[in-house]
Amino acid sequence: MFSSLFVFRGRASPMVEFAVSVAAAVIVVALWELAARAGIIAPQFLPSPSRVVIALWTMLTEQNLLWHVAVSTARVWIAFLLAAVMAIPIGIMMSSYRIVGAALEPMIDFIRYLPVPALVPLSIIWFGVGEETKIFLLWLGTFFQLVLLVADDMRRVPQEFVEVARTVGANSRQVMIDVALRWMGPTLLDNLRITLGWCWTYLIIAEIVAADSGIGYVIWTARRFVKTPEVMAGVVVIGLIGLVTDQLLRLLHRRLFRYL
Amino acid sequence: MTGYVQFVDTAKSFGPVNVVRKTSLGLDRNSLVVFLGPSGCGKTTLMRMVGGLDEPSSGSILLGGEKVVRPDRRRGMVFQSYSSFPWLTVEKNIAFGMRYRKDLDGAEKAERIGHYLDLFGLADFAGSYPNRISGGMRQRVAIARTLAAGSDVLLMDEPFGALDALTRERLQVELRQIQIREEKTVIFVTHDVEEAVFLADRIILFSRRPASIVADIDVAAELGPDRPLEIRETQKFFELRNKVLHLIRNETGAVV
Repeated sequence: MFSSLFVFRGRASPMVEFAVSVAAAVIVVALWELAARAGIIAPQFLPSPSRVVIALWTMLTEQNLLWHVAVSTARVWIAFLLAAVMAIPIGIMMSSYRIVGAALEPMIDFIRYLPVPALVPLSIIWFGVGEETKIFLLWLGTFFQLVLLVADDMRRVPQEFVEVARTVGANSRQVMIDVALRWMGPTLLDNLRITLGWCWTYLIIAEIVAADSGIGYVIWTARRFVKTPEVMAGVVVIGLIGLVTDQLLRLLHRRLFRYL
Repeated sequence: MTGYVQFVDTAKSFGPVNVVRKTSLGLDRNSLVVFLGPSGCGKTTLMRMVGGLDEPSSGSILLGGEKVVRPDRRRGMVFQSYSSFPWLTVEKNIAFGMRYRKDLDGAEKAERIGHYLDLFGLADFAGSYPNRISGGMRQRVAIARTLAAGSDVLLMDEPFGALDALTRERLQVELRQIQIREEKTVIFVTHDVEEAVFLADRIILFSRRPASIVADIDVAAELGPDRPLEIRETQKFFELRNKVLHLIRNETGAVV
């Protein structure tokens, strides 16, 4: 049952893989708990998992953590959807029409290498300290990466597919919609899943800018008072949201693209 | 020069690279013409120009007396790589050929789909996705889709190149039968001499790049229109195959 796990490029059943995933997580948490209880590392640096769970419970019941989670989730999804709605058509156009590619690619390549934290002061000057800045910073971390991934996806649409469509009478718009987008579907959803993860990674940066809500704000505030269990609880919450979102998107992928 | 498909002083260069020398050639309607030549000689480029997918650098190509300027459904392509759309079932892949036809109503389209599913022995796999069927079937789907589109001319670029020997033989027989039955003009590109002799009414042999015609062989006059598989074992077939091989060695200096 488990022997295939040790075979080079072997395959295992989903149940076996799930069991291994759970076992690995349990082992890591158990080792962490042991290390913390043994006093190997001071609790203000590495509190035990049980203390993190207690802190998480307190935050949920007494500090309105769910509200902060909802605020952060809304910010991430607004920024991510904005980025996706803009990046998908622009990326497609960049690969489809050389004039668009030649005009935008160098600029996008330049901007995507800029570290988002370096643009915090600019974003405050442009948008103030309200929601706009937070959304802008999250968008910034996502859009420029996504647009190039989409452009690459479009570039990889097999030329044979395009030519088959053209020889049965499709015009450029029909080739784009009926062939290119359909072919890109699976990789596009994968790229959206990956960039959504990146969007979450920028949350802390976005929510330390004069924020009074959100998981980033909760983590940053806890840090000021060296409440390490609360900091770690906040981090765990982000990880859990990421895990659940990722699994849901994988499920959607399997449902939408049954032909793969 | 006459013919349904006509190359009129057609030449093609890609930048400084001359791919096809000035070529004039007429191909009869409802015939199966094989373009044979060494790999990379430019025969695919000539075929793509018939499809309107590449433009001649000079000269022109006429289809039924009309100049070819862009791709349209009268000239359908079948590629070596499996070009069935993976997101569509076999039935929907065939239907895709008619997707942009406004002259057929739903019932007519359904009838044509049924016809080609039966003709290619795909009826039992109508609801299957391409990744669930064999390579041979995928190529059948690609040919059926092109025919369903209503193409007069089938442009086939080594379509059986990736198939195993037995499947390849079977598809060659089927292609001959379907070409005659459906009255289609086929331009078939290959570098396989045996395949060329078995399939062709006429073989146009090309030189190394830049392609120019080195021989025009009337295979139909030697072998007739019917090509059962057994014809490959006849003296006539061997002689013709050897003749073509000699021509290739002598005229193109190439091993195909």
